[in-house]
Amino acid sequence: MELRDVGRRYGVRGRWVLRDVGLRVPGGTLLRIEGGNGSGKSTLLRLLAGVDAPSAGRITGRPRTAYVPERFPAALPLTALGYLTRLGRIHGLGRRAADRAARDWLERFGAGRYARTPLRELSKGTTQKVAVAQGLVGAPGLLVLDEAWTGLDGESRRVLDRAVLDRVADGGAVVFVDHDPRRLAGVCQAVHRVEGGRLVPAPAAPGPRVRVEAEGAGPLPDALPGDPDREPLPGAVRLTVAAADSDALLRALLTAAPPWHIRSVTAAPAPEEPHR
Amino acid sequence: MTALLRYQAALLLRSHRWLPPLMLYAVLLTIGVRPGEPVLDSFGLAAGLLLPVAAWLVRVCVTNEPDAAWDCAAAAAGPWRVHLAGILTALAASLALAAAGTAVVALISDPHGAGGRVAVPLGPAAGAGFVAAASCALLGTAVGALCNRPLLRSTARSVPATVLAVFLVLLPGGSPANAAVTELVSASRSGEVSWPLLPLAVAAVFAAGAAAVACALSSRR
Repeated sequence: MELRDVGRRYGVRGRWVLRDVGLRVPGGTLLRIEGGNGSGKSTLLRLLAGVDAPSAGRITGRPRTAYVPERFPAALPLTALGYLTRLGRIHGLGRRAADRAARDWLERFGAGRYARTPLRELSKGTTQKVAVAQGLVGAPGLLVLDEAWTGLDGESRRVLDRAVLDRVADGGAVVFVDHDPRRLAGVCQAVHRVEGGRLVPAPAAPGPRVRVEAEGAGPLPDALPGDPDREPLPGAVRLTVAAADSDALLRALLTAAPPWHIRSVTAAPAPEEPHR
Repeated sequence: MTALLRYQAALLLRSHRWLPPLMLYAVLLTIGVRPGEPVLDSFGLAAGLLLPVAAWLVRVCVTNEPDAAWDCAAAAAGPWRVHLAGILTALAASLALAAAGTAVVALISDPHGAGGRVAVPLGPAAGAGFVAAASCALLGTAVGALCNRPLLRSTARSVPATVLAVFLVLLPGGSPANAAVTELVSASRSGEVSWPLLPLAVAAVFAAGAAAVACALSSRR
């Protein structure tokens, strides 16, 4: 998916909330959007989700999308399971698949016993679980999360973290906003900041790194994913790379001609972040 | 689209927000249609009364979800499809009312023309009555589509605009609703039943156009 010169303003003479935004969101990427209150983060997420249309520019190549809004009011006359199943059907799942996926996500978030509870009787936390499950039930190609972690308990946050990583590993794209700077730090392919209505790249927080030891007959390929630090070892080479890029690095090594042999993959100690 | 229609229909049925428009229609019919009156006149009246009810049903359907829930469905299926599903659900409910109203009028009215001398065949007359009611349902749907979100968002504008538009569509001689009703009334005088198909076609074109405009704007807010 690609945004080209996208702008958004409310009303013909309104102030530009966003301007000249260019962004590529290919499959398999995890993207974090930062910015202060009222900076236009949520507007950008709504444009990405296709809920709102840009006033200028073009958005092309949108995959099937799910959106988890910041606040999910549960004033719908449906049960948790009924709502999730219907959303699954809207995402194109068959009746049985939608029912199975809806039950499955409620169970994963520990809300299985509320399946038959009307949405308006759910607690705030459980409502948020339904809101998040709604985004995951259809296994969308693009998942847009607007502070989706807020209001979830610790265990559910971990479930959501894992679900996001699974989506990315399956080739989906995930774009999120969260007030916690450590949220999925180090596994984001990119971090962008909305500032003065423009989208600017932001330095990613240093995250976990992975150490790969490999041996091979030929020379190392010049351009390796993630631009790893190289360290010669006897008969091998040690490559240290951001965890986000480790899968791509391994793929590049294994598919090189001649292929490299992976001796070990270990977590590298991160001096700037002692314990996570 | 089927999944969206089911979703919207479930929201409409379970929210019970269809009850007030239904009650309005029932009350208007009770006041306006007397048992034993000429059947075609009563069909004309029942059709005309359906128009504001159909407009109200569109309002119910396109404002049934809280914004955030609408956003979730819109992300999954596209805003215009979600909006179209709401309008179509309202139209289906209006057409159900048209059928029910036609059946009630057919049961309680006198199958004679105005003056009570010419016998009117009940089957074709009921057909003509339903076609007229369907025309009014389509026009009411068009009014509802143009007088609610995304074109008019606040209740303070939407409701007065709807009432004004209902009168503008119902009363002038050239409007399809008026033409359909007039055709029934004149058939009642002559005793020759004809289906008001031209008004139906024009009403369908209006409804399609109004829905297209509303859906095209549905992602703008």
